[in-house]
Amino acid sequence: MKKLLFFCVIALVFNPLQTIATVASNQIIIVANLDDHTDNLTREQVRNLFMGASIGRNLEPVALPPHNHTRSLFNAKIIGMAEQRIQSYWAQMKFTGRFTQPKEVQSEQEMLVYLRNNKGSIGYLTADTNIPQGLHIMLSSE
Amino acid sequence: MLPAILATTMFSHAAAASEISENLDISGFARGVAGYLDHNSRTFEGYTDELSIVEQSLIAIQPTYTFNDQFSLTSQLIAHAGDDRNSGLEWLYLNYHPDSAWHLRAGKLRMPFFIYSDSIDVGYSYPWVTAPVQVYNNYLFSTFNGASASYNHSGSEVGLNVEIYSGTFDGDIYLAGTRIDVDAKVSNLAGIVATINSNNLSMRLSYHTGQNDTTVPLIQDLREALYQNNFIESAQSLESSGNVYALQASLSYDRLNSFYKAEWIQTVTGFEIAPKVTGAYAMAGYIWNDWTVHATYSVSKYSEIEPVIELPTTPIGNPGIDQLSAAYYQAFTATPNGTLDSYTLGTRWDFRLDMALKAEVSKFQESRNPSGFFVNSGQSSKESAYLYQVAWEWIF
Repeated sequence: MKKLLFFCVIALVFNPLQTIATVASNQIIIVANLDDHTDNLTREQVRNLFMGASIGRNLEPVALPPHNHTRSLFNAKIIGMAEQRIQSYWAQMKFTGRFTQPKEVQSEQEMLVYLRNNKGSIGYLTADTNIPQGLHIMLSSE
Repeated sequence: MLPAILATTMFSHAAAASEISENLDISGFARGVAGYLDHNSRTFEGYTDELSIVEQSLIAIQPTYTFNDQFSLTSQLIAHAGDDRNSGLEWLYLNYHPDSAWHLRAGKLRMPFFIYSDSIDVGYSYPWVTAPVQVYNNYLFSTFNGASASYNHSGSEVGLNVEIYSGTFDGDIYLAGTRIDVDAKVSNLAGIVATINSNNLSMRLSYHTGQNDTTVPLIQDLREALYQNNFIESAQSLESSGNVYALQASLSYDRLNSFYKAEWIQTVTGFEIAPKVTGAYAMAGYIWNDWTVHATYSVSKYSEIEPVIELPTTPIGNPGIDQLSAAYYQAFTATPNGTLDSYTLGTRWDFRLDMALKAEVSKFQESRNPSGFFVNSGQSSKESAYLYQVAWEWIF
């Protein structure tokens, strides 16, 4: 027990910022490039939008690749399904021609660049991300 | 043939779908399934007590050509390892997406009877090696020629998807996974599928109807003979042209580490020779890292059918009438009217993003015989057997 406490203290002393950032980054924000900065979405709408459905607005969902930490958080907090179940879902959608998988970017940095450059795009990031001007947070995970 | 295609495809393609040109995208899927039935004298879904790898193994290629943002053409070509299912063009349709809510399709399409019926060949899309046979292998045909329109919209708390379709069917039909040697025809085929989802709970309801114009040559000959001998009521009881209805309902619930599904279907006809068929299953799955374990209970039940008592039920010494009687009553006694229960335990390992390995064991038990699933089954005893299966699933 003493050893465990010791390692915890050492970890906090030597890497306090990262530890605090890790706690903060367990929250997800849904960010969009829209003119209307008062617009918001519910979890259900975000979930359905990223599962291929229409929410009646001209939004282009953008996803991070499987096994990305932010994507795993998004799966847990918004989609509510494990990655392999999501992959099975997309196999069914693809080979029955029903829905198309969201566009994928390779990193959070690429996500920010894509969102900033494409009006109507919507993506997810961790809550500790600095959101540049022009982008709008539409939902924060609980 | 199939292994050669598989090997060529595996080594010549990257893991993801290939974009041949800016407009042409080629993707596909494959599955290798091995099964063994622990019964020394019966066949079940094509499986016997000899290890078989041909019953469900297949490879498919799906080219999609995109004309513009709204129009595209999709086809799917399948090569089955077994001879029982026809290989070739599985579907070919034109897509029209006027916006993200509407989707219209026209051409050769898959029947949307159940949750997985239009992706039943894509083993990667579901947890089992074999989807519950009492529901998925008890329907008669899988494709139709026609058109479908679907609309989807997600409100702040509820999502809705509605699909309607209409068309015709002309081709082979299957019962209990076995091709029946008749030229089947269904006209005025139509249906509606509604899916409502909220908070990871999804409910799907569908209704399907069609005019069956299929004629079974042996039954047709018997009907003619009955009419000629003035056994009108008996002849009419063998009528098989008319409307067929199917009603389906399902519930799915997904959590991060578990999922639950239940599905039910009932098929009703106006024919005296065709029993009402009910099939259902309930399943639960648990996910741990890349592994899934699941358990399923399934059941199918045929209603009782009764022949018209017009012909003598015992021989009367008139060879012509006695032969007609025997054939007529045999047609009714040969029709399944039993119940089949099954219990399945399975596991799936998603060892790569595009591949999965599966293993499962199912116990099939007739609680009333004949269920129609055991081939070579005598009607005097209730059958029971274990089916062991392993599968490799791949999408590319």
